[in-house]
Amino acid sequence: MIKFYGEFFINAAFLCAILATIGYFLYAQNDKDRYFKISNWLFGLQGLFLLAASGLLLHIILTHQFNFYYVYNYTSDDLQLKYLISAFWGGQEGSFMLWVLFSTLIGFGLMRWTRKAYRGPVLFFLTLTQIFLLSMVSGISFGDFTLGASPFRSLAEAMPNAPFLQSNPDFVPQNGKGLNDLLKSPWMMIHPPILFVGFSMMTVPYCFAMAALWKRKYNEWVNPALPWTLGANVALLTAIFLGGYWAYVTLSFGGYWAWDPVENASFVPWLLGTAGIHTMIIQRKSSTSQKASIIFAILAYVAIVYETFLTRSGILSDASVHSFVDLGLYSQLVVFMLAVTGIGLGLFFYRYKELPKQKNDSRFLSREFMTFAGAMMLFLIGLVIILGTSSPIIGRLFTENPTPPEVSFYNEWTMPMAMVAAILTVLGQYLFWKKQDGESLAEDLTLPVALTCIITLASIIIGDVRNIYYMVYLLTAWFALVGNAVIMIRLIRQNPMLIGGALSHIGFAVLLLGILASSAYNEHLLDRTTQQYNEAIRSGNVTDEQGFQKTQTVNFLELKLNEPKVVNDKYRVTYEGYTLKNQERPGQQQYRIKFEPADGEGSQFVLNPQVYPMLSSSSAQNIEWSVDPDVRTGMLSDIYLYVSGSSYVQQKNEQAKERARQVRQQTEPAAAGMLDSTKVQKIELAQGETASVGSFDITLKSYSQETEDAPQDSTIIAVRANVEITQRGSDSSTSVYPLFSIYQKNGKNWSYAPPTGIPGHNGTVQFSSVNPSTGKVELTIRGVDKEVKEQWVLLVAEEKPFISVVWLGTFLLMGGFSISIFRHWGRERKKS
Amino acid sequence: MKPKLIIGIIAIVGFTSLLMYNFGNSISTYVNFEQAADMNSAHVVGTWDDSRDYGFSMESKQFTFYMKDEAGNVRRVVYPKSKPNNFEQADRLVVIGKIEGEVFYADEMLMKCPSKYNNADGAQFEKANVGNS
Repeated sequence: MIKFYGEFFINAAFLCAILATIGYFLYAQNDKDRYFKISNWLFGLQGLFLLAASGLLLHIILTHQFNFYYVYNYTSDDLQLKYLISAFWGGQEGSFMLWVLFSTLIGFGLMRWTRKAYRGPVLFFLTLTQIFLLSMVSGISFGDFTLGASPFRSLAEAMPNAPFLQSNPDFVPQNGKGLNDLLKSPWMMIHPPILFVGFSMMTVPYCFAMAALWKRKYNEWVNPALPWTLGANVALLTAIFLGGYWAYVTLSFGGYWAWDPVENASFVPWLLGTAGIHTMIIQRKSSTSQKASIIFAILAYVAIVYETFLTRSGILSDASVHSFVDLGLYSQLVVFMLAVTGIGLGLFFYRYKELPKQKNDSRFLSREFMTFAGAMMLFLIGLVIILGTSSPIIGRLFTENPTPPEVSFYNEWTMPMAMVAAILTVLGQYLFWKKQDGESLAEDLTLPVALTCIITLASIIIGDVRNIYYMVYLLTAWFALVGNAVIMIRLIRQNPMLIGGALSHIGFAVLLLGILASSAYNEHLLDRTTQQYNEAIRSGNVTDEQGFQKTQTVNFLELKLNEPKVVNDKYRVTYEGYTLKNQERPGQQQYRIKFEPADGEGSQFVLNPQVYPMLSSSSAQNIEWSVDPDVRTGMLSDIYLYVSGSSYVQQKNEQAKERARQVRQQTEPAAAGMLDSTKVQKIELAQGETASVGSFDITLKSYSQETEDAPQDSTIIAVRANVEITQRGSDSSTSVYPLFSIYQKNGKNWSYAPPTGIPGHNGTVQFSSVNPSTGKVELTIRGVDKEVKEQWVLLVAEEKPFISVVWLGTFLLMGGFSISIFRHWGRERKKS
Repeated sequence: MKPKLIIGIIAIVGFTSLLMYNFGNSISTYVNFEQAADMNSAHVVGTWDDSRDYGFSMESKQFTFYMKDEAGNVRRVVYPKSKPNNFEQADRLVVIGKIEGEVFYADEMLMKCPSKYNNADGAQFEKANVGNS
């Protein structure tokens, strides 16, 4: 039933979208209000159907209906509510639905606020994109061809070749595969929705640009389009920031940005959107750049669709960490992309001749020229990133089966252009608020230039910068910061609502400074011995066990329990053990790593990195571990670390290997009696005393006479001990209650004291006797290694300076854009 | 033609060719161990040779294993990080790094894991995420 309704609702929405598109087309052509009304109703109906379908999808996820492929593939019984909800957009199908949902909401906004000349075509293009998006989840079959992949398809439909379904097509699995462990993060709740808000808002400038071309009204459209574009930008920027922060604090890639195709997928539309914002602003002010505004508005959305194609068609599956698997949507995505690009650019070139031409060229020292040049820089940066991301396609020009480009390709191209852009921000801003010639501009710039030089020199000396390229980079970034700050201070006095641009540019400058500082000064935290060892490796003096010369340095920090090490002459680091308590994930260990300043001055702090088994891919015979780093965020630098290995993990792996061996050999586990006799150890404990055996601390908490159900009828005395066993390094202990009893048989006294297993470990504890004179209890421990197994942890620890500056830059950018939204939105509202 | 237009065209052509030239240099193709001999950052595709010793050594702090490339060459691979978490499950590996003598020094590793039950070739590469040795 649910399956029927779910598919029905989606396809009803699909149909409504098609009808609404036709309606809006007629309205745009004939300008009859009747068409507009009907189309709006259809549009609303589409929203309702979609909402109903989404509700059903959420319902089957929350009620664990594993006969649905989507539910089976992305959720499991034990998933917390928040992750069940995020599973809605955990897969491709659901994320397309979320995208259309947001797009529909935006449609209502456009319906309400767009003025008459544009609203028909704008809504026509919006619904047109929705048709494409809905077709991705439709799931209707025409013969062999299925349109899209429905989130409501059953297991049997989705995996016809699965063996368990071939024997029994109605089979419903007990449990689903579960959400990927790495996606079980609070960020999963918020990052994808914001991204799709950005994607759907970026549709609006496209629609407006197309409406302008259709209606031949090339000037006024930028006014209503501007706040939407700015909004899309803030949403995309927020999503990029959340993604970067997520990658940084919970994944172990070690940074906030890796030029991964999926990251690029949200970054390129942002760059093109920002380029569009710049040209729209000058178009609004001085009626130039009409062509550029239209083309950027088109390209920003094309970039979104293109990157959607790249990440969802499976074409990048060789190159990206987190691209989706092809769902058979390849050709549909190609059609979507070609349609959006073809209609956009087609109409643009069709109208090209009548587009307003600029009478005379802008002077070099004009706000038009500078802002346009800045937009071009953003556009070119976007182009370079698209080129790199497209390597699986475009790379075929150079070689078969191309690999992704090296990271240096991105850095070497984007950074110089960003430096040029940094200079342009200042010139542009100075010319934006006041018409200037060379002389007056030079005069105005004296103060910022002087300040910039001083600050740059100071930071070169303080930061010990020796690289010329970095020096120039610093100069441009500081220039952008100082120049825009001076402008902003002036503007605040006039009208604080005007500072959006200057503030965004300051954010950009701060971001540039943060990027350089955080990547150039990243350091591994290592102890003195390892540092010397690495020195020796670098000078080629180390060979490994097989006589090969070592070239790779060691970047691990090995710590033994409670043995502090001094790292980088800065911190004294101590491993203080781990806890198995408060597990968010079953089997998770949380380690305690204490940092103290090496010179004793300053405060200490504790980091708690975690290790947990990946449930979806682990078995009793083979455990796959994943890590959750911990980061201490500081004003100047972050300490970032994760556990790369530990004695506990090693022990668990050995146990798993042992189980695997037993399974292979079909043998019983070694019986307690067969335990190596050398591993038998006896200890005597008074009440409350603790003794160490191997890596365990054993405490006799108490012992008392057993009164209830004596084990034998003829028992004379029965004593049960309460023994607490703690593995050193761990703060969690287990208790065992071994029994000691004496009973009579055949006129003789016999003792009965069965060995009790230690939970979670091999080995047993036996209450072997009581010393009547001292009252001490003798415990016999079997199967525990006599030699102390050292407790250790292997860390990868890094000091990452100025990450906070990167975040600060991002926040300033968001703040600047947000102020601009209010300004332009407010002006638009006043007009209407 | 106006001089500005000519300068513009030259700039565009210059920029594009430089960009494409640089792009062409920064990508390479997937190779086998023999072809990797002179490359600085070679992407070698292959499978894990599980008949030989592998594991993370606490002494050298390296993960080593033997990999058989698509041409059948087996080489020892040294990876200076801990064992990637889905190493044993991977049915294809990509190691990125350079070969010196008979040893391949990998800086990065990608694992292609079989995705069960998908009839299409639904396999997916995963970047070496840090696991535990």
